[in-house]
Amino acid sequence: MRASAVSGIVFANARDEAVGRMTNYRSMASVPFGGRYRLIDFCLSNLVNAGITNIGVITKANYRSLMDHIGSGAFWDLDRKQGGVHLLPPFNISGARRYHGYIEALYGAMDFLNRCNSEYIVLCDGCVAANVDISAAVDFHIRKDADITVVYRTGAALEKVNNMMTMTVDSDDRLVSVDFPDSISKNELSSLGVLVFGRELLIELVNNAYENGGRNIDVDIIADRINALKICGFRHNGFSAIMTDIETYTAANMSLLSKEVRDDLFNPERRIMTKNRDDMPTRYGTKAEVKDSFVADGCVIDGEVFRSVLSRGVIVKRGATVKNSIIMQDCVIGENAIVCDAIFDKSVTLNNNTVIRGTTERTIYVEKNQII
Amino acid sequence: MIKKKCVAMLLAGGQGSRLGVLTEKIAKPAVPYGGKYRIIDFPLSNCINSGIDTVGILTQYKPLELNDYIGSGKAWDLDRLSGGVHILPPYQGQKGGDWYKGTANAIYQNMMFIERYDPEYVLILSGDHIYKMDYSKMINQHIRTNAACTIAVIEVPLDEACRFGIMNTDSDGSIYEFEEKPENPKSNLASMGVYVFSWDKLKKYLVDDEETPDSSNDFGKNIIPAMLKSKEKLQVYKFGDYWKDVGTVDSLWEANLDLLNPKINLNLSDPNWRIYSRAGAFPPHYISDSATVENSLVTDGCEVYGNLDYSILFENVMVEEGASVEYSLVMPGAIIKRGAKVRYSIIAENAVIGENAEVGALPESVSPDEFGISVVGDNIEVGRNAQIGPKTMITDNVREGAKI
Repeated sequence: MRASAVSGIVFANARDEAVGRMTNYRSMASVPFGGRYRLIDFCLSNLVNAGITNIGVITKANYRSLMDHIGSGAFWDLDRKQGGVHLLPPFNISGARRYHGYIEALYGAMDFLNRCNSEYIVLCDGCVAANVDISAAVDFHIRKDADITVVYRTGAALEKVNNMMTMTVDSDDRLVSVDFPDSISKNELSSLGVLVFGRELLIELVNNAYENGGRNIDVDIIADRINALKICGFRHNGFSAIMTDIETYTAANMSLLSKEVRDDLFNPERRIMTKNRDDMPTRYGTKAEVKDSFVADGCVIDGEVFRSVLSRGVIVKRGATVKNSIIMQDCVIGENAIVCDAIFDKSVTLNNNTVIRGTTERTIYVEKNQII
Repeated sequence: MIKKKCVAMLLAGGQGSRLGVLTEKIAKPAVPYGGKYRIIDFPLSNCINSGIDTVGILTQYKPLELNDYIGSGKAWDLDRLSGGVHILPPYQGQKGGDWYKGTANAIYQNMMFIERYDPEYVLILSGDHIYKMDYSKMINQHIRTNAACTIAVIEVPLDEACRFGIMNTDSDGSIYEFEEKPENPKSNLASMGVYVFSWDKLKKYLVDDEETPDSSNDFGKNIIPAMLKSKEKLQVYKFGDYWKDVGTVDSLWEANLDLLNPKINLNLSDPNWRIYSRAGAFPPHYISDSATVENSLVTDGCEVYGNLDYSILFENVMVEEGASVEYSLVMPGAIIKRGAKVRYSIIAENAVIGENAEVGALPESVSPDEFGISVVGDNIEVGRNAQIGPKTMITDNVREGAKI
């Protein structure tokens, strides 16, 4: 298959409202995750690892940090003459207002869809951390001669339900029914927000749905056309987390302390790529005590860190303790300070001898650039 | 071609034979350093940080890994429309071709490359040293003193001066004599292997040197002495920060562990002078419940279940439960299996140290003349329960239970 046969579209503002203040200044896709990543790294890497190098990123609001992160796309090998990564801010919708729902978003990106000249389009939600074999999903789509393929997973134990599409499939992998339930059981199949379409069909479906006032792909295309079109389900077997609220975000970060999850999410055959900061390796001092933690480069650790995820450039000073927490890049934890069950956004400084203590049930979130 | 004020030429063709098995398959500048770097990251990062964006890299010995590492030069911002990084291997011309006979001959053979940029100055560098240096300051001094050649020097203890190329200078810093490894050094100013030449002067001496039949075509042995003989103005440029030659196993080990010494100023992620490297796309490292980590550097992709003290783990290293690594370097992709003990050693890329094997020894456990750093070569497998003593270089797989 030629490289341009498939193009990708990423929804950068997927579920923006789900993680509260974390998206006050950024889109969901640029929410930091797993120490050195932003959520969009999963979409971009999954697409690139499937040989898809023409990618549109649909944004709505607060996309400065996203632009900063993506840059020329070089870190994902997306600085290309043919294709590459294209940021698609709100555009050519009447009055240039922000979109409501993906149908309108895709309608606004119609230029990209019309021009990209690919046979297939893969849509990806920017709120998902998963290493998805998109190449296999596209092959499946072609083999099944499907109109639409929905990538699904089982065992949504991590997420609370919030606008999640569940489905049943028959023995031939065809979707029989979909639902948008209030609660979800472990065995149910739920959409991972990764969809494969023929490009021309997608354009037609989007145009029709838009004209009829449709907003949501899951409701107004998939549920609506489940009998009229051949819609198939492709199963993703590995780890996945959809950021439906701050609890699932926290739990998904913490699940990286499991080797099984790390080995799956960071599968060496399909690497997750990200912007490189050229930090030094992390330095552990004489008094450092670190257990069960996931630590990015550039940290200087002279205190204690337990069951935590530390992003790049975090400083934990002598006598300080960090426990059950997610600390984003360039935070400083002062001497003898204590952080427990908390999420620190970027560049938070916790002064010496200061205590921030949440509970397992209620994680404390500290906005970026705070000095406490 | 756009004119450049200064072109850097990086001599990266040497074998680095004193590093033994570590340079068996790769050129010395490609040897890993400091967890996520290779030696060549230092001159390349220094160049771009000094505003020099045109660098020729002269390769000859085992260049595959080095070529692959440098790629387009993007990692150092050296992928440029004009200038940028260029790999310059020996080549054939109409009258045949030749290997690079010496450092000066390597530059001579690439005069065409330099001429394309019509530079005023040429900076000669080597890929053997760990240091952060602003070359633009040295070039400015070169311009100010109107020298034909400026040689960067560092003060070394006088009793160690016999191991270096020593510059004997007048009080104004002009060089009147150069002595290679003198028995009775008159000065403690050691050459750092960093030269700035005015290009018109260097060109003349390179051409003359080629016409000298018995010349070894070497900067230190031939070009500098010839310039001194002709009364050219040669100046030293004194450099006062950290600089270390990493030409031997011991010095490579030391230069790495210097990163753990709080008294040594070698911050590689200083935003004003960052050392860039071409890092792989690996996840953050994981330190488990069973691990203890002190006084160490750990980088992306590592998984630590055992004990670390005074050590540096490079990318993607696995230290299994109950294993201990002390005063050692473990290079990318190596695995230290359960219960193994690694002390005062360098474990090269992708080597595997088997369960309960022991590599190296603590200095206090052996007599001083028996002590030294042990090295296990890349992709070597050391069998379980094998014992490898101090000051040993392992170039072949070691059987289970063997004692070496």
